[in-house]
Amino acid sequence: MGIIDWAFRKSPWILHFNTGSCNGCDIEIFATLTPKYDVERLGALLKGSPRHADILVVSGPVTRQASGRILRIYEQMPDPKKVVAVGTCCISGGVFSNGGKGPCYNVYPGLDSLVPVDAYVPGCPPKPEAILDGISKVAKKAGVGCK
Amino acid sequence: MWSAILPILQTIVFPGFLFLIAVSFLYEWLDRKIYAWMQFRAGPVLAGPVGILQPLADFVKLMGKEDITPAYADRRIFGAVPIMMVALIFTFWAVVPVTGSAGLVSFRGDVVFALVSMTFFCMLVFLGGFSSADRFSLLGAERAVLQLLGFEIPLMLSLTGVCIHTGSLSLSGIVSWQAENGWTLLGPQAIGFIIFLVAAQAELERIPFDIPEAEQEIVAGWLTEYSGRKLALIRLAKDMELVFVSGLAVALFLGGPVGPSPAGLEWLVYPAYFLIKLALVVAILAFIRGLFARARIDQMVSFGLRYLVPISLAQVAATILWRLA
Ligand code: SF4
Repeated sequence: MGIIDWAFRKSPWILHFNTGSCNGCDIEIFATLTPKYDVERLGALLKGSPRHADILVVSGPVTRQASGRILRIYEQMPDPKKVVAVGTCCISGGVFSNGGKGPCYNVYPGLDSLVPVDAYVPGCPPKPEAILDGISKVAKKAGVGCK
Repeated sequence: MWSAILPILQTIVFPGFLFLIAVSFLYEWLDRKIYAWMQFRAGPVLAGPVGILQPLADFVKLMGKEDITPAYADRRIFGAVPIMMVALIFTFWAVVPVTGSAGLVSFRGDVVFALVSMTFFCMLVFLGGFSSADRFSLLGAERAVLQLLGFEIPLMLSLTGVCIHTGSLSLSGIVSWQAENGWTLLGPQAIGFIIFLVAAQAELERIPFDIPEAEQEIVAGWLTEYSGRKLALIRLAKDMELVFVSGLAVALFLGGPVGPSPAGLEWLVYPAYFLIKLALVVAILAFIRGLFARARIDQMVSFGLRYLVPISLAQVAATILWRLA
């Protein structure tokens, strides 16, 4: 374990992107920043610009309208980068997946059909503890050696 | 032989570059901890004991990340700005007194020299935002220059009061005046100190004056397109600027590193005084950051010109009358 790998694990900066969520997941993601959960303990900061971020946290069903934007944001992030899918909608389409018969006409069947996903946080919405767990697991995997 | 090596060691190790880098990481950590404590959070805890290595982890991580230059950016200026920022603060750090009443270099008029650094830094911010060829960066750069209009004049006036009071235009003169006169500068110049801190907050682009990089409005302002190594250097430069400006405040208003000390131990006691006073100033700045919300750019400029300038002018006038009396 080199110092660079250590630094990557201790400083996961987050970018939050909403692809059309009902705001349930967003509220839970912002709850991780509040005093009770405080994601800054892990060294994480919420960043506004994709150029500064290491982890892309996506919430909500991936709609066709948002698909181009999420690809662009993913490509704007510098390597090495990770993606966390938060909420059932983001993982599989959730309630928009037409009762398991396949997604709705305007929704992708999950974020991993567009970009590679490193951690899935299920729940509708997931608890802030679960989101923290997802972020910390991704941060533990981080490092230059394992892109 | 020794006399030839000593200045080089002083410039590179203590109180020069390495000391400055270590101190700026330490005080970024302190700033984040106080800010978190004011919000009932814990702040960074996992990197090193009580998270003290967090700024180092951030720096090393950014150094190891991919470095993107936007296709339409002006490559040369875009790449030069972070290096120039670090070099600028390294250069100007030489005048800040750390180990005695004088800094590494000291000459008549170095107060003005130190002031120029703030304008230069702002110009570099503008160049960085301008060369990114991005609408958010451009907006941030524009705001940085507008903000300079608002805080620069009160900043200079607050220092004018100190210079007239002590009758000296050099930092070492001001520090030794305070040592001779029993550190009584802060009483009559208290308003100047407050104005200096407010203007310093604007210069350092921290809440409530983080208008050039307002995250909720313009993504990350002039920093938007910077990533990887360049962002690491810019963050380092901003931390060092925090220490530099606080160091100026310590030297100008709080008596600098000079203080009562057992004979022969000055080399140890004076830097300790300096670090304690520096922590005090950084704590005040962190308190301001935690207590306020962001102002709009027009509010900031009109606040600077409408209230800070007249108050600091009154302060200067009172000081002149006191000198004449
Ligand atoms: S998973 Fe539930 S809470 Fe989250 S966006 Fe979907 S419907 Fe809303």
